[in-house]
Amino acid sequence: MLKSRKHVFWEALIVTIFVFLVGFLVGIYIEQSNFNKLNDYSTLSEVSLMDGIALVELSKENFSCEILREKNIEFADKVFEEAKLLEEYEESGKLTESIKILHKKYDMLRTLAWISNSNAIDKCQNYDLIVYLYEYNPEGVNKKAAQSVWSRKLLDYKNENPNSVLLPISANQEITSLKILIEKYGVEKIPSVIINNERVIYEYDDLIIPSSDKN
Amino acid sequence: MQWLTVLYLVYTFIAFYFLFIYVLTYIQNRKEIYEIIKPKKIFSLSIVVPCYNEGKSIGKNIEALLASEYPGLEKIIIVDDCSTDNSFDIIKAYAKKYPKIMVVQTPTNTGRAAGAKNYGAKFVKTELIGFSDADSFPEKNAISNMVGFFNDNEMGAVTSRVLVENRKNMLSKIQSIEYKIIAFTRKLLGFLDSIYVTNGPLSIYRKKAFDDVGGFDYKNLTEDIEITWHFVAKGWKVQMAVLANIYSIVPEKFNEWWRQRIRWNIGGVQTVAKYSKKILKCGMLGKFILPFFVLSWFLGLAGLFLLVYRAINYFITKFLIAKYSIAANISILRFEEISLNPSILFLFGLLLFSLGFVFTIIALAYSREREYDRTKIRDIFIYSIFYLLMYPPLLIISFYKYIKREEKW
Repeated sequence: MLKSRKHVFWEALIVTIFVFLVGFLVGIYIEQSNFNKLNDYSTLSEVSLMDGIALVELSKENFSCEILREKNIEFADKVFEEAKLLEEYEESGKLTESIKILHKKYDMLRTLAWISNSNAIDKCQNYDLIVYLYEYNPEGVNKKAAQSVWSRKLLDYKNENPNSVLLPISANQEITSLKILIEKYGVEKIPSVIINNERVIYEYDDLIIPSSDKN
Repeated sequence: MQWLTVLYLVYTFIAFYFLFIYVLTYIQNRKEIYEIIKPKKIFSLSIVVPCYNEGKSIGKNIEALLASEYPGLEKIIIVDDCSTDNSFDIIKAYAKKYPKIMVVQTPTNTGRAAGAKNYGAKFVKTELIGFSDADSFPEKNAISNMVGFFNDNEMGAVTSRVLVENRKNMLSKIQSIEYKIIAFTRKLLGFLDSIYVTNGPLSIYRKKAFDDVGGFDYKNLTEDIEITWHFVAKGWKVQMAVLANIYSIVPEKFNEWWRQRIRWNIGGVQTVAKYSKKILKCGMLGKFILPFFVLSWFLGLAGLFLLVYRAINYFITKFLIAKYSIAANISILRFEEISLNPSILFLFGLLLFSLGFVFTIIALAYSREREYDRTKIRDIFIYSIFYLLMYPPLLIISFYKYIKREEKW
């Protein structure tokens, strides 16, 4: 009767390790798939951005401002959609750091887009450029909530004014060119919004863009 | 990896490990759960019942014990702990009627069940000594189904399966589920020589083993846990007879239930503190029971911390977003922000909960009972989601009271 079955401790440990390993592998696979998908998107966005930069160069030789506007808005919208996906994957990604690297890459792309758009609006002045600077992974809930509301507010604005370029860039990603731009426009705190490279605002109520009826 | 993720992974790993211990033990031993061992001889037995102001239930308890089919039950010793109600009169009336019943009274109120139990044990001269609570009622075959385990000379204690007598309101119905799960898991732990408590409602000890451990620890609020650990520490075996059913009255009011659980938890803390130096020593006590107890606390506290931390963060963030959204004149609710991309941690949690839920259903399905209705799925959900959430706060308060030395019965 009643013989002891203590081997179950080892068996349970092996099953637990197995379940964890399978879980980890599935998790890492899903996160890697998400990374690969976004990486492909980012490569396409990079190509699109290069095309935009090339167009700016060409505009020096009286190239069409209309084409440049369309190209920049299309690029910004595409990157914006990808940013939403990136954020979603970042929320669910717990095991690997690869998505974070991709986030930095996107911030670099958007910084380049900011520079490119700055040249375009200087020349053409036929659309609005809204750069939203936020903090990546803020520590306090206050800042997190404030940034969330800024994102919503700007998204609403973008939906109402499709003829504008919205570039959300995380300001604390250690990108030197971005730091220089932030200094150049005298940004005092994050989150903040720079409108047409002319005005820096920190409060929701100040989000009035006079030239929003540009075509 | 964030520290919160690491904590969550450690939490789920331990929880999965314990769950798989139960699941594998169940799979490997399911045919023996209801095993009844026929006694090789008639072991003489005395049952001690401590009684303090139990006028409402002591009569029923005595009658249930008298109805026992076990032929070796020689004495039923009722220990009146200086009751202030009519308990003593009731006991005396039974003692007059039935010679098997012996009534004794403590010189002064001992204040704890352990005091009355130890006092009653002095009058026991049989091979086995059993203890029963005055508010508990064993089935007539309960004792018969327990004594066979004493065929093994190393068997020090055999405990029964406690079920709920009064299933009148939601709280008592939920406790009925809890008691069945406890009984099922305790039986499984028996296959691993790791039973950590021989319950108060009905447990039988070999008198030699009882004397070997020096009886119950009077200072401990859960003397039934402490004595079990003591048995295991001394090398005595402990088993459980699943078919030894005893029906016990459980608290129907929340405050009574709360007080009872605080007492149980403080007793648990006292026991762990007393035996903490036995870690990794004394067979299964140090190698499994003690770490199991402590890690169960960790699971409870870590689970509560994770839940509260996430909930507070979530609600504060949502509140601030709503506040700022009003200030910014934008809509508060956004459907596009709902993410349908769950993390692997969420899937781990879901798997753990699902397995735990299935295990609960199996445990309840295995709980063969007399005429009671089947447990409702609604009650199982309430037990699994809300009732179990009460364990960690109870533990925290118990720790506090233990540190403050507020160890009242």
